[in-house]
Amino acid sequence: MNTFGDIIGRATELPWLWAGLVAYGLATIVVIAGVMRMPHRAAGAMAAHDSYVPSEKARTWHGHEKLVLVLVSSGVALIAIALAERWVRIGHGPFVNLFELLMSQLFSLGLIFAITYWRVPAMRASAVVALPLIWVLGIWVLTLQPVDTPLPPTYHNDWLWAHVGLGKIFLSLCLIGTGLAGVILLRHSERFAPWFRHMPANEVLDGLAWRFMLLAFIFHSLMLVAGAVWAQDAWGRYWSWDALETSSFLNWLLLGMGLHARFTYRVPLRAGAVLIIAVFVFAFFTYFGTPFYSEAAHKGVI
Amino acid sequence: MKKFLRALGSIRLALVGMVLLGVGAALSYDNPAGTPVWVLVAPLALLAINLFCAIATNPRINRRPGLLVFHLGLFAIIVLAGIGRLTHLDGQLEITEGSAFSPDELTEVKKGPFHGDGLSKVAFIQGSYTVEYNAGMVRGLTHSQVLIPDGRGGMISRVVGDDRPLVLEGYRFYTTYNKGFAPVLTWMPDQGEAMTGTIHMPSYPLFDYKQDSNWTPPGGKPLRFWLRLDTGLRQDAAWLLDGKKASGVLVVNAGERRVELLPGQSLRLEGGSLRYERLTSWMGYKVFYDPTLHWLFVASVVAIMGLGAHFWRKFGVRMQRTHESSITDTPVASSGRMP
Ligand code: HEM
Repeated sequence: MNTFGDIIGRATELPWLWAGLVAYGLATIVVIAGVMRMPHRAAGAMAAHDSYVPSEKARTWHGHEKLVLVLVSSGVALIAIALAERWVRIGHGPFVNLFELLMSQLFSLGLIFAITYWRVPAMRASAVVALPLIWVLGIWVLTLQPVDTPLPPTYHNDWLWAHVGLGKIFLSLCLIGTGLAGVILLRHSERFAPWFRHMPANEVLDGLAWRFMLLAFIFHSLMLVAGAVWAQDAWGRYWSWDALETSSFLNWLLLGMGLHARFTYRVPLRAGAVLIIAVFVFAFFTYFGTPFYSEAAHKGVI
Repeated sequence: MKKFLRALGSIRLALVGMVLLGVGAALSYDNPAGTPVWVLVAPLALLAINLFCAIATNPRINRRPGLLVFHLGLFAIIVLAGIGRLTHLDGQLEITEGSAFSPDELTEVKKGPFHGDGLSKVAFIQGSYTVEYNAGMVRGLTHSQVLIPDGRGGMISRVVGDDRPLVLEGYRFYTTYNKGFAPVLTWMPDQGEAMTGTIHMPSYPLFDYKQDSNWTPPGGKPLRFWLRLDTGLRQDAAWLLDGKKASGVLVVNAGERRVELLPGQSLRLEGGSLRYERLTSWMGYKVFYDPTLHWLFVASVVAIMGLGAHFWRKFGVRMQRTHESSITDTPVASSGRMP
């Protein structure tokens, strides 16, 4: 019988994972402290609700932003080492149990967030919303045991890579959209509005957020296709409305409806932001909730 | 007419269709027994009509190549999925090692009304198989050998298993966790001809503890069989399930009598005698046929590529503009424009 101590003792990836989480945590603290201080220095540099002109100034880095990027990137690198360490130790990739899924999401969310943070200055302050969301996974993973689960026979399949990878890109893009949506909502509070004074106007953030959501929709569609091909190989049917399939289809449909509603009606900015967050929350429960409340989730039929 | 088509193709109706499809999907969540299939079919039919009319009449779709390809792809997927349901076949098969496939042996068959008779052209012989088990009885890879006629009177041997199905005439045979052992028995009646057959014992190792079955010889009394297996099964370490290396003692209960038979041994019973020839195995396959599979794949990939192209045009163009002006993509602004 494996004791808890045995499992922890063998899990040489844990120190790397913890270090990565610390880096993410520091990034979160720095970004919050940064935006709290920034209005005083940046006030007037860009009017809050004017349209966003990405001038040279906007493309330069604000005081704390480079440090945030360095910290998030370090977190990504440390978690990558943790993943590699575990991979070598147990002989297969992080695809099977919840500990592995969370760990690999911490890597991919961080990676895609860091790339976007670097390339799209307009979204940077939304890290105030996005990084704590990443941290929800970080705290969760700390509560789980790093047990290893054998790779099921149906996982020896190239479509696994496509399906899992595309799904991770989808969730990351959704997270970025959610960060921006969160800023739109937070700006309605007097307390938080000053934090985002240097960001582009809400209309611009809304456009940017939905741009990420359309891209997320493309990756979600690709994930569904790759998943269907894999399901056909693995279980002899491409679609059967199992818990995870249904949940992610509903998620896809919700996002599709959001996109249509937005160009059919004058969806108020705040409602649009709530819709984006709803898509993200739905995705979150699809990814991390479904395996719990249904025996027939992918976890069940391996 | 045009007005009517436009109304049928309105985006508001699309939204209604999507909500209904969402409700249908939610009702089908996890396949609860008793959910009728029309909860999905009706909204899909509505969406297909709506989509068709929108593609025909709405310049916001049909003048933008990327979006047009995407929505045509969605339409194609709905139509193909419909054709698939009308022509598909699903079933289960238990086939004994060394025996030839026969369509009559399929069980739990579900098929569409327009399913053809291609299954009668399928021919193969089941060979032996092995299944790897990790410690703790966690199933690993299955290697199932099949022999397929090469068309010139010979046979080709192929190994299938797990996510590598045997595909013949479009029918896909997937190995399953359902497999087990089968004693080969010969019944030699006092009068008449001897007959040889197999008894499929319950799935192994799932029902390791209850390897029993019943059979009544023609004109005889019911017999109860129990198979005591030696397969090298281990809970604590990895092992290989290999029919060739397994042996089994057949315990026959005939009324009050209890007799243990080794392969080759016989038992005298009322009306004839029973010989336990040898131990063999059976493999359980899931059988699947859907002629639209490849087309569905093509339609969905082309659709998504269309959407990708639309995205590229819509935002690629904007990106360049942003350097001169501002990133504006407000809902109101974009609804009237055609990037
Ligand atoms: C069934 C009837 C449908 C109709 C009549 C319809 C109509 C349209 C129209 C007119 C546009 C262009 C909007 C514009 O930018 O002016 C559009 C875009 C789009 N549609 Fe549909 N659609 C339908 C179904 C779907 C479905 C089921 C989905 C997926 C859930 C979908 C996903 C999209 C996406 C992603 C866009 C691009 C949105 C953008 O560029 O921001 N459509 N649709």
